[in-house]
Amino acid sequence: MSSEIWSPCILRDQERCLLVMMGELSEDLRILSTCKLLQHDSQLLEAVFRTHRLSYETRGSRSKSLHDRAVINCQYSMATFSTAERKRRPHGDRKSSEMSLHLKQTFEAAVLTELYPRSQIDIYVKILQADGGNYSACVNAATLALVDAGIPMRDYVCACTAGFVEDTPLADLCHAEESGGGTSLALALLPRSGNIALLQMDARLHQDHLDALIEAAMTACKGVSKVLDGVVRQHLEEVSVLTRD
Amino acid sequence: MSPMKLCVPGERLCSTEDCIPGTGTYLRHGYIFASLTGYVLRKNEGEELPVISVVRETETQLLPDVGAIVTCKVTSINPRFAKVHILYVGSTPLKDRFRGTIRKEDVRATEKDKVETYKSFRPGDIVLAKVISLGDVQSNYLLTTAENELGVVVAHSEAGRPERAQMVPISWCEMQCPRTHAKEFRKVARVQPEYLQA
Repeated sequence: MSSEIWSPCILRDQERCLLVMMGELSEDLRILSTCKLLQHDSQLLEAVFRTHRLSYETRGSRSKSLHDRAVINCQYSMATFSTAERKRRPHGDRKSSEMSLHLKQTFEAAVLTELYPRSQIDIYVKILQADGGNYSACVNAATLALVDAGIPMRDYVCACTAGFVEDTPLADLCHAEESGGGTSLALALLPRSGNIALLQMDARLHQDHLDALIEAAMTACKGVSKVLDGVVRQHLEEVSVLTRD
Repeated sequence: MSPMKLCVPGERLCSTEDCIPGTGTYLRHGYIFASLTGYVLRKNEGEELPVISVVRETETQLLPDVGAIVTCKVTSINPRFAKVHILYVGSTPLKDRFRGTIRKEDVRATEKDKVETYKSFRPGDIVLAKVISLGDVQSNYLLTTAENELGVVVAHSEAGRPERAQMVPISWCEMQCPRTHAKEFRKVARVQPEYLQA
């Protein structure tokens, strides 16, 4: 591995940009809010559809609806041009189902689903460019989309990956670092309370290093949450200035 | 307007001793937190503690509810149903256009099986309808015009310009063009005389 990739500094003091665009990117009325997120080199487009009632007429979905809560339905997909090699990904394949399930679990922890009984909230995420940290980019984008849509949540959900390189914990891994065989830990955090929504780790890690790794990931998540917070407030001010007159 | 405080989900607003939680907030460990992005609003409700709530700047738009009378525009027709865009709920215009469907059997109350959508609506007609269901996943509201006061209010004749004019209702099932005097079939609404403008 060349030295440029494995730069030993926590949260990468060099430019790890996190660009966010919120707001109405779609003409489709069914989409309540969209958000485009660029986290280092992963880009993704995200849309939250309107919450809709699971009616008795739709076959099969009556069984999916819960009488006291909303059901959160997540769908994760990758564009064919997102990775280095152009690859057609079938819709129901294992990786995307697993990722959809993780997203669903993460957001069920954060969204106040008790306010919408017998309804369904759809979250559709599409990765436009994948360079590691797919799950964390999805979670951050979905948080923004939900916040923009006005769906009540306990807190933001911020996610980041972390890994170990030569006894130094690194945050926000890129694709080369993730697939290099080292440990990669993905953490989804509710920043204000410090509650962990989802924690996922690949490969083996000695348990002495676990605390340091989680600490690095949590610090990174809190940094992300500050960025998201700033973007949301700015967007809110822009929107309110427009509608105030 | 006085500058109100912005808040984001998860922000701690105050404790339960100061205020009562309203919409857009939730309780945790004796404190009130915001659950929406928006402005914090404190309302004094008499002797009790003030109610604190979070309002979004964009007005929560009026959604058509079951039983509401809506004004819609027909976009396409089909032997089985007519598709419409819902423009007004009651007398408030909507920001977005919702989609609705008027099924063949919901066009009128009598002789439902003998209804022909082509003789009841045409694309471009303005129709008064009532919501019977919020609809399915495709979020098409289900509407009905099976009442005397519901149906086509404004329709244009088939004639091309310059004869094309707004038709005048003759009976509950026919309208006539004032220029060409051609009669066309529609399911006409019986609008109360005081609502008719000259």
